[in-house]
Amino acid sequence: MSRSARPRLLPFGDSAVLVVLGEGVDPALNARARRIAAAVEAANRDDPRFGRPVAAYASVLVPVDPIDPGVPRAVEQLERLVEEADASPVGAADDDQQPPIDLPTRYGGPDGPDLDEVASSHGLRPTDVVELHASVVYRVYFLGFAPGFAYLGPLPSELVRPRLASPRPRVPAGSVGIAGEQTAVYPVDSPGGWRLIGRTRVRVWDPTSDPPALLLPGRRVRFVPARD
Amino acid sequence: MLEVLEAGLLDTIQDRGRPHHRHLGVPEGGAADSWSHAVANLLAGNDPAAAALEMTIVGPRMRALADITVALAGADLGARVEPGNRPLAPGRSVRLRAGDELVAAGRAAGGRGARAYLAVAGGIDVPVVLGSRSTCRAGSFGGVDGRPLRPGDVIHGGEPGGEPVDAWPAEPIAPHIADRDGTVVVRLIAHAGAGAARRVVGRRWTVTPASDRMGLRLDGDATPSEQPEVTSHGVVRGTVQVPPDGRPIVLLADHQPTGGYPVAGVVIAADLPALGQLAPGDGVRFVLVDLVEARAALEAQRAAWAATLDLLRADAAWHDLWRSAGA
Repeated sequence: MSRSARPRLLPFGDSAVLVVLGEGVDPALNARARRIAAAVEAANRDDPRFGRPVAAYASVLVPVDPIDPGVPRAVEQLERLVEEADASPVGAADDDQQPPIDLPTRYGGPDGPDLDEVASSHGLRPTDVVELHASVVYRVYFLGFAPGFAYLGPLPSELVRPRLASPRPRVPAGSVGIAGEQTAVYPVDSPGGWRLIGRTRVRVWDPTSDPPALLLPGRRVRFVPARD
Repeated sequence: MLEVLEAGLLDTIQDRGRPHHRHLGVPEGGAADSWSHAVANLLAGNDPAAAALEMTIVGPRMRALADITVALAGADLGARVEPGNRPLAPGRSVRLRAGDELVAAGRAAGGRGARAYLAVAGGIDVPVVLGSRSTCRAGSFGGVDGRPLRPGDVIHGGEPGGEPVDAWPAEPIAPHIADRDGTVVVRLIAHAGAGAARRVVGRRWTVTPASDRMGLRLDGDATPSEQPEVTSHGVVRGTVQVPPDGRPIVLLADHQPTGGYPVAGVVIAADLPALGQLAPGDGVRFVLVDLVEARAALEAQRAAWAATLDLLRADAAWHDLWRSAGA
């Protein structure tokens, strides 16, 4: 049913427009959101009155100058652009031009202090969890929470776990975590509430690189069990 | 050059921020009160977007390692120059001699505002990362190593550009805060379909000490809600979120680019600088306005800014005339 809902363009304060496609975590809605964001970004790239769009699960936030064009005129201008971008069928070709990003990951032990708990909560062995987690080709839904923090999904239902009740004060950079239906890699040392099952040496965030984030919206990602 | 001798509560290097990387999870950052930040820079003869030092409630103690012109705007945090115990009021610039110390011991009782901006002639010179010199604590980059200033840090000024200005011919702090008399009234555009707006307007909120550069955390007559979360979506500075406990969060400069709490509305652009001047204990009240009123408010503010710049230019022209005649 997600395909039948037309995008709604809502004022979001006086300096942004929020394009809403639906609710929930849905790969099809997310693909449409990313495609709309890319189209809006390309159309307004040289127009300083529009900011860089931010796609999330099922929406796109478009920053606009509050006087010129101002939100009412921006909604008019964006409506047609959004409709056109959304009109063609979503093809796998859009997202899968580039190969999946492989992240060698050390699972369990000191690198994955929550692996055993995730396993036992679903009546699985830790090796089952590793195999399941590594068996999926994930999609980057969007980035948020911290620079370079990519929300990956969909997670197999057997691995779904809520966040920790209390976050850890320090999660080492590269830690691989699970929360809800998502998995993610912590890009820098930070406090964190996700359940940690492993760690990768791959640097997913480097502000001196271009682009500074490795896991960009729409990219495919795989975790590869490794010894180091 | 200024050496930090004692750190303040939260001193960070900020410019206008980095708005073009939110899609990568990077907070926009930048000065929490963009108005006062610009005033400080113009006083120092800088481009208004130059990097300056944002001080919060209690500022640092710093020593000038060379002669340097600095300027101050925003809240009055009790800044003084030693030796001589000379006050440095917001809205003034001063020439520090090598060896002078500048200290901002804290806001006087009954004072207005939370943040002051110290601009240095030429702008503060730290590396540009992702298009900005602002401090990004979430990513540990920008400013001075992505963190608040510590004793031993040395701040360098860049090449001085324009002439410093002695005194700002208007209030050197964000509008709204300038003429506040108790509770600050903040204007909000309601978010569509938001029963959440009703839980936020029509009552007085108090800023709690849990507030920081990511957001103001308010307390007061909170209405808890059954609705725990919404599907995460992009958010902006000034977004008013209502978590399940009903106590609003007003997003500030370092907010995460996406959020999953219900949104009551978004503070209008004209009132964003005032948000950066709200301190723990301050009172806030939200009123709903529409886009027409929001636009009028911003246009009025920009007109007031332009009028002040005209005054400055007139003063500068007079200053030049005087000097060319007398010197």
